[in-house]
Amino acid sequence: MAIVSSNSTTSAADPLEDGRKRAMLLAALYIAQEQFGWLSEEAIRRVAERLDLSVGQVKSTASFYTMFKLQPQGKYRIQVCEGLSCYLVGGADPIIEYVSAKLGIQPGETTADGLFTLEVVQCLAACGTAPALKVNDELYENMTFTAIDQLIERLQEQAE
Amino acid sequence: MIEKATITIDGKKIQARYGQTVLQAAREHGIYIPVLCDHPALPPEGACRICLVEIERQRTLQPACTFPVSEGLVIHTHSPKVMEARKFSLELLISDHPLDCMTCEATGNCLLQDLAYEYGITGDRYQGEKHSYAIDASNPFIVVDRNKCILCRRCVRACTYINGVEAISVFYRGFNAYIGFGADSTMQDSPCEFCGSCVEVCPTGALWPKMTLGKGRPYQLQKVQTVCTYCGVGCQIELQVRNNHIVNVVGVENAPVNQGFTCVKGRFGNDFVHHADRLTKPRVRKYLLEGGKRAGKERGEWIEVDWDTALEIVSRKLIETRNTYGSDAVGLLTSAKCTNEENYLMNKLARQIIGTNNIDHCARLCHSSTVAGLAISFGSGAMSNSIEDVTQQAKVFFVIGSNTTEQHPVIGMKIRQAVRQRDAILIVADPRQIPLVDFATLHLQHKPGTDIALLNGLMYLILKNGWEDKDFIAERTEGFEEFKAVVEQYPPEVVSEITGVPQELLHEAAQIMGTHKPMAVIWAMGITQHTTGVYNVMSLANLQMLLGNMGIPGGGVNPLRGQNNVQGACDMGGLPNVYPAYQPVTSEEAAKKFSEAWGAPMSTKVGMTVTEMIPAAKEGKIKALYIMAEDPMMSDPDTNHVRECLEACEFVVLQDIFYTETAPYADVLLPGVSFAEKSGTFTNTERRIQLVRQALQPLEGARPDWQILCEVANRILASPENGRKVDNQAPYAHWDYRQPSEIMDEINALAPSYAGVKYERLQRGETFQWPVKDEHHVGTPILHVGKFARGLGKFAAIEHIPAAELPDEAYPMILSTGRVLYHWHGGELSRRSQGLLEIYPKPLIEVHPEDAERLGLNGQRRVRVTSRRGSIVAEAWITDRVLPGMVYANFHFPEASANVLTHAALDPIAKIPEYKVCAVKVEAVE
Repeated sequence: MAIVSSNSTTSAADPLEDGRKRAMLLAALYIAQEQFGWLSEEAIRRVAERLDLSVGQVKSTASFYTMFKLQPQGKYRIQVCEGLSCYLVGGADPIIEYVSAKLGIQPGETTADGLFTLEVVQCLAACGTAPALKVNDELYENMTFTAIDQLIERLQEQAE
Repeated sequence: MIEKATITIDGKKIQARYGQTVLQAAREHGIYIPVLCDHPALPPEGACRICLVEIERQRTLQPACTFPVSEGLVIHTHSPKVMEARKFSLELLISDHPLDCMTCEATGNCLLQDLAYEYGITGDRYQGEKHSYAIDASNPFIVVDRNKCILCRRCVRACTYINGVEAISVFYRGFNAYIGFGADSTMQDSPCEFCGSCVEVCPTGALWPKMTLGKGRPYQLQKVQTVCTYCGVGCQIELQVRNNHIVNVVGVENAPVNQGFTCVKGRFGNDFVHHADRLTKPRVRKYLLEGGKRAGKERGEWIEVDWDTALEIVSRKLIETRNTYGSDAVGLLTSAKCTNEENYLMNKLARQIIGTNNIDHCARLCHSSTVAGLAISFGSGAMSNSIEDVTQQAKVFFVIGSNTTEQHPVIGMKIRQAVRQRDAILIVADPRQIPLVDFATLHLQHKPGTDIALLNGLMYLILKNGWEDKDFIAERTEGFEEFKAVVEQYPPEVVSEITGVPQELLHEAAQIMGTHKPMAVIWAMGITQHTTGVYNVMSLANLQMLLGNMGIPGGGVNPLRGQNNVQGACDMGGLPNVYPAYQPVTSEEAAKKFSEAWGAPMSTKVGMTVTEMIPAAKEGKIKALYIMAEDPMMSDPDTNHVRECLEACEFVVLQDIFYTETAPYADVLLPGVSFAEKSGTFTNTERRIQLVRQALQPLEGARPDWQILCEVANRILASPENGRKVDNQAPYAHWDYRQPSEIMDEINALAPSYAGVKYERLQRGETFQWPVKDEHHVGTPILHVGKFARGLGKFAAIEHIPAAELPDEAYPMILSTGRVLYHWHGGELSRRSQGLLEIYPKPLIEVHPEDAERLGLNGQRRVRVTSRRGSIVAEAWITDRVLPGMVYANFHFPEASANVLTHAALDPIAKIPEYKVCAVKVEAVE
């Protein structure tokens, strides 16, 4: 007979397990984002499969948190702080405008070459050294327009 | 014991229970607290802040829906502070809500509107950004208008906790949050099954049934509670009617089976009632009017006639046939779609008026093996337990040969709930990867037709480990030793070889079964539709006796009956071997009882089954067939042969609501009416008798089936040609019923298990499961408690027998057949429901990816499937739902019906055909 068994075992779906899976979700999403740079439909589907959660639940959670990116991100994510301290020292708006003009993108957008994404974020916990911004996971403090020029130049060189 | 807590709400002291929320306690005592997000059927969410109450000694206002009850709480539900807070919340909600109540579908049925009215909200307090989402009407059933969504998450919870598919989520947050489906796509691209539970619970007009748009305001609708006509689960539904048209269908909240929820067919599939194909005039073949003979199989043209002419012809031809060839030359097919009262009358027509036991119906094709098998093992052939106790108390579900979520969706929902919410273990045994497998702990994917070997193998391991219930076996059963001797021949290595199930899975399954009690066994056609159908069922009876799972809540043998009233059609004597309530026709005592009641001599000869009557028509033994609402051209195996048989039959009467696939082979067509146009009772899978209430006036020209049967019977009785004497002094000889309740009165008198089923009781809202011994008896939720119907339960020694037609070189693959979620039976109703047809418009043949590759199928290619009996062409659905070497087809579509291929090999006892296994070859078609 031509039949070959494909008997399968699926894990028991008990509430405790379910709770644990949900508890693992944020960590799993972080790992996926680290791996792919952003959370594509494919990445979300794979996280859901791996944790045996519904795709809806995973996407819903990912979309709730602003640090999860559901669109492709630039190689360098420039995150400019608009917190109170940065604002008071005259950072925030002028810096955002400067970077925006320099790269030709609005906050939330990515340059055509896929190198830079501009983001506006809340306090980076660098109030004493405001204005501050982050590139990916690295913090840059006491920012000036010149410092920004140098930073972007260096990043462009790095990328080549 | 549950601890009580005394709390005070608005100055009134009430006894609440620990574990309750303030809202639940208030509701129970009839105290009104307004809500938006809370729904009694769903877990509390605490999202909308409308139920805020003032609780003394609490710093802030608290949501009543999540605040737990404790001793001494003093609560104010309508203090100025509360009123102000509610007003504020409502004003915020309304500030981003379209104020189009005058055209909104939900007007009159909208909680937000009610609250705005109650709190005097006009919508001009906060001006700001408003959403402007596009309305999504892309699926056939539900319109999604996110502008009207208040993010209460009722739909999210209904989809998770009621249906269990988790198709709805909230995406993003704050002002940008919205409800979405699947991975934030459309409903039809998500796991949504369109059960409509989300629509049922939506408090506004955000989710709305498409069929209802523009059809009327709630206060313009007449609301009638009745029973769904699709499957045997027996959900109560409310038909909302305007101008004799069903404009909406909702679940009945206090219904014992479905508690307000339904499946897609029950909620959105009832528009067939108004389909243009409905028959409205009787038709007869021209030759019948000319008094001539039919020219062979050519029946000639149809002529529309008045009822008198048609009924005159039917009664004349039935009398003629009986006078010429004898009573047993007439066969009657009764209907699992019709009411108990109508089935009773069909049985009376056969036995009293015609004088034959040749009466049967499609139960033969679905659960006749269950009825026969359980009767042998236990003495009664019905589902032993109730849906409620099984789904709420079983620790383990063993679902074998039942695609529950697609075929009995509301029971499927409850199984998913049990797994998700209370840790029940699910073991699925099925050759296909059915949707329930996603919720299962184990999937035993055995080859089609190897159920006995699988079950014997499991019982071998249960016995080997000493997990059997020794007391139960000793006290309540017989035949154990012979049974044991056979089971001992089925060690895992042998069973694994026969079934294809890995040995370790057999061990795991046996261990779960042996160490958890109670376990409920649930089955359907995957067990019954085999040449070994009766033995399969008896093997399951063996298993449940071995484990002592009979007569207890959460256990039992639970065959899920197919049609809405297939249980009732059997109960009413729509079978060739029994009178109503399973009184055997071979019993002299029963024959005496019915001949005295009906005033005519009774035949003690067992009649023919449907699978015998149809071939007998070709052999010339059956000369006339009276078919009420059955469609053998779609439902019976080997369609080409059925066609030849019907062509050969001298006289065929078909009483139906549509011109079905069987209609071309009829000589007379009598237009009956749908479930919505008549009253009566249906008996569901768990033996529950429920009232079917008339919601519509019969379509002009059509007549309720019970009235048609009375007309035919009375004409035969009055005819001078009638050669059969009926003593009209006998108490139940007459056919002068003014309404269905009078038929039930007669059933009460003659069918002991229905003795207490009174319309007055049903009309009061009572429903009960038979046996209902008298008018005070509340019915019998669980059978075989303490004692089996036959006394001792009978263990049977059963050997594995291979299927009748296995693959060979010419036909190398196995075909298995069945149904899909969106269609029903031969498709007569569901293909005439616009939405159901739109979502599943054509037959699909399931082919495993490995086979697809071998056959050179890629993507949406068509396949030809050929068996020794016929051939069909349809689109392939490449899916790992089936095993390699196996294809699966449905019988919903006449253009490619699986029954062209199926084999009329019958179970020797129940005469049920082996729909689940036959040999086919599959080829790609350009």
